[in-house]
Amino acid sequence: MRKRLRHQNRIELLQGTLDMLILRTLQWGPQHGHGVGLAIQAGSGSALEVDHGSLYPALHRLEKQGWLVSEWKLSENNQRAKYYRLTTRGKQQLAAERSRWTQLVGAIARIMDPV
Amino acid sequence: VSWLTRWFRRDDPDRDLADEIRFHLDQETRLRMDRGTGPDEARQGARRDFGNVLLVAETTRQMWGWTPMTLVDDLKQGSRRVRARPATALTAAAMLALGIGLATSMFTLVDALVLRPAPFREPDRLARLSLRSGHSGRMAVSADVLSAWRASPAFAAVEGTTSATSILDTDTGPLVTASARVTPGIFALLGVRPSRGQAFDRTDGRAGSDGGVVLSEDLWRTALGADPGILGRLVTIDGTRARVVGLMPSGFRFPDWNTVIWQPIDYGAPPPALIGSRAVPFVRLAPGVPLADALNVAADVGRRADATITADTQVRTRALAGAELDPYYTHAVPLLCGGVVLVFLVLCANVVSLLLARLAARQAEFRMCTALGASRGRLVRQALSEHLLLGLGGVVFGIGLAWLLLSLARGFLPAAFLVRTLHPVELDGRALAVAMATGLLAALTAGVLPAWMGTRSDRTLTLAAGQRSGTENRAARVLTRTLLVVEVALASTLLVVATLLVRSFISLASVDPGLKTDGVLTTWLVLPANNSPDRSSRLALTAALDDSIRHLPGIDRVALTGGLPPEGYSTYFDDEWQADDAGAKPTEIPIVNNYYVGPDFFELYGIPLLGGRTFLPGEDPNDVVIGERLAALLWPRQNPVGRFFHQGKDEYHVVGLAHEIRLPSVDANRDAPQFYQPFVAGGSYVFMNLRCVGRCPDEAVIRRQILRTVPGVNIVRFGALSEVYREELARPRAAVALGSTFAAIAVLAAAGGLFSVLTFAVGRRRREFGIRVALGASPAQIRRLVLGDGARVAALGVGIGMAASVALARVVASLEYGVTSFDPVTYGVVMGLLATTTMVASWRPARRAMRVDPAELLRNE
Repeated sequence: MRKRLRHQNRIELLQGTLDMLILRTLQWGPQHGHGVGLAIQAGSGSALEVDHGSLYPALHRLEKQGWLVSEWKLSENNQRAKYYRLTTRGKQQLAAERSRWTQLVGAIARIMDPV
Repeated sequence: VSWLTRWFRRDDPDRDLADEIRFHLDQETRLRMDRGTGPDEARQGARRDFGNVLLVAETTRQMWGWTPMTLVDDLKQGSRRVRARPATALTAAAMLALGIGLATSMFTLVDALVLRPAPFREPDRLARLSLRSGHSGRMAVSADVLSAWRASPAFAAVEGTTSATSILDTDTGPLVTASARVTPGIFALLGVRPSRGQAFDRTDGRAGSDGGVVLSEDLWRTALGADPGILGRLVTIDGTRARVVGLMPSGFRFPDWNTVIWQPIDYGAPPPALIGSRAVPFVRLAPGVPLADALNVAADVGRRADATITADTQVRTRALAGAELDPYYTHAVPLLCGGVVLVFLVLCANVVSLLLARLAARQAEFRMCTALGASRGRLVRQALSEHLLLGLGGVVFGIGLAWLLLSLARGFLPAAFLVRTLHPVELDGRALAVAMATGLLAALTAGVLPAWMGTRSDRTLTLAAGQRSGTENRAARVLTRTLLVVEVALASTLLVVATLLVRSFISLASVDPGLKTDGVLTTWLVLPANNSPDRSSRLALTAALDDSIRHLPGIDRVALTGGLPPEGYSTYFDDEWQADDAGAKPTEIPIVNNYYVGPDFFELYGIPLLGGRTFLPGEDPNDVVIGERLAALLWPRQNPVGRFFHQGKDEYHVVGLAHEIRLPSVDANRDAPQFYQPFVAGGSYVFMNLRCVGRCPDEAVIRRQILRTVPGVNIVRFGALSEVYREELARPRAAVALGSTFAAIAVLAAAGGLFSVLTFAVGRRRREFGIRVALGASPAQIRRLVLGDGARVAALGVGIGMAASVALARVVASLEYGVTSFDPVTYGVVMGLLATTTMVASWRPARRAMRVDPAELLRNE
């Protein structure tokens, strides 16, 4: 019962926003995949839950595009983990996506609340 | 240490990804345990939440895009697959290798013979010149013409050569080799340099200068023991000592393909023995002068320098080396190249059907892969990488095969083939590039289609149904049958051409030459101008030669003639022939081989006289003997002996009729009627015909005897007459050997293709046959079904192939002798052979189909 409720409360991510969320999360410092997922979930007050089936492909895609770089480091509990870090180009990309997002939200808001 | 780990880790992205996911799961498990879940449940929960690990990993991997690692992975997997089913894969690779090997070796041959530019500096500005007026031509010019051309602004450089045969004394005895007299500047003209030592000085070759000599590296290695002190050493050539000044690299083949000795000559002031020598002229055009202008200038200047050059004489260019491309080359070379292309196509078609069958046998595997989420593209890529691997194997073995074939070719190719080569026939970078290119082409033509069609799996079929089989998939059926038709068609075209070549060769080889060639040596000498300035001195020298050779041990008879068999002295008669019959029309016989012969000529050659008599000593010059063909042309079905005829302004009296001499040649112009006139000695050309007792004496012995009798004599040609006739057959024989090999490969490949396609089809149709038998079909009917399948394909292919060979007839016609392109025997032989082949290839599959046991089949369902 509890489980179904949780699923009902979850919001589907808008197409294309996952990349922006990942970049935004990494703005505060390098993080591994699990950490990125947790950060998005926690940051959204558990409203957004990232599907792992798209998180890892997204991380690898962003890395291939040169917006992230990865590095194997020891995690806080001494395990080898792959940490992703934002590159300069990634920061520029984040800024671009952010301004596009703001425009989109503003445009939708004007339609929804015309007054 | 971390960079070290990274370095090692970097090489394996797959392991990295697995680690990353494992870390995620560990982290998630820990999180859940922190919330108070038990360890097992936490781990299971983490996994459940993550979803399908394999799928996530695969989707992530796709984000990497194409990297070299992907190809390496594919190839690794490919090689695993190839190893899992080696038989068909190896067969396919072997066929590709055969095709690539044939194509590469043929290319190497044609490249050396025709395609490659001369290996000299700016070869397009280089030319060999000759003079031509009407029917006659001159390959060599006098010293005056040479120096007049040198002075003309049309040419940057003019040099000359005279080819000869020389005897080099070695520790193991005298060695007869091809040599050349060259003007000192010839190497600079060509832009080549000796690999050791130096070329000649400007003044070398003049009377009185020290004779230097340049040898080829090959000769130095084989005959002179690679003596390190070769430069400056004295060697004996034609009885004269000469100092070695340089060595030419072994690839240098000039002016003839087998020249290994170069001696200097200054045609303007030659040593006494060489006075009167004429030069084959080689020129380098002056910068900016077009060839046509240069040739006109050369004709004008030449006329002023030499009175024998008439107003209608034209200067022409000839191939830089070797003989002109005669009709045999211009037709045989493209035909054989075409043959290689056809064989290549047949083999590729065969590989296509093999690979299709191979992939079809793996349908179940592909269905499984599709069910597990493999995309079609992934399957195609996998299949293609396997095929590329086969192509690679084909290239490696193909290059090996080409090397083998070329070693064979070098050993067995007739000199007639090599006479034109300025390049050695060997595998080089160009040939390897061609091998790679044909390999890639083969892998793509033969690999893409099967990869595309073979990986198509029917989604409506379940995995379980995949174990059973009905009839073949329609597209595959159409494709394999079409390929087979193409294969059979190409094979039958090749077989028709090869059979025509074989029939022609048999006709050529069975030509009765009309004279006994065994045990006859012939030689053509030019007396030196310095010690035979007039007719009486030439008569004395000729008599001395005749006498000294006649008394050599092993020589039975000697006949002096004008002209040597098989082509006589000269060939063309422009004027018409008029027989003495009342009302006989003048006949045009453009090509006649005439001979000037003495009384003993016919006996020496064993040519029977069919009427009249041979010449008497001191015969009247207008009394002649004619051959049967000329007699038949002048007086059809009449006895010519005692008759008269006019040729131009001369009247001739026929005193004898000789049995016809035939030259077996596909070039009908060369096998011309004979016309014999009485021989009168005293010219500067001496033709000697020698009949030996038993085995002929060694060539070097006779050459020495000639040189001892007349120092400075130029031996233009010397050899066994049977060798001349054998040489005549050498190229047709080589063409037959190549053509038959190609046809045999194509027919075997087509038969193999038919066998494998039918076997495969029978395998797929076992159920159908079982049902047919259960419903009352007799085994014989089943057999007829399969045999009919093969026969239909073969019949269609043979039909198309025959039509194609009829279309090709004109190309082959020029290589035919004694058969026509529409020779019914040839077509009969080809159809019979292919029908037999089809039956043999379909027999086993048909028997397998016949033995299908319906009861057993149903039990297995």
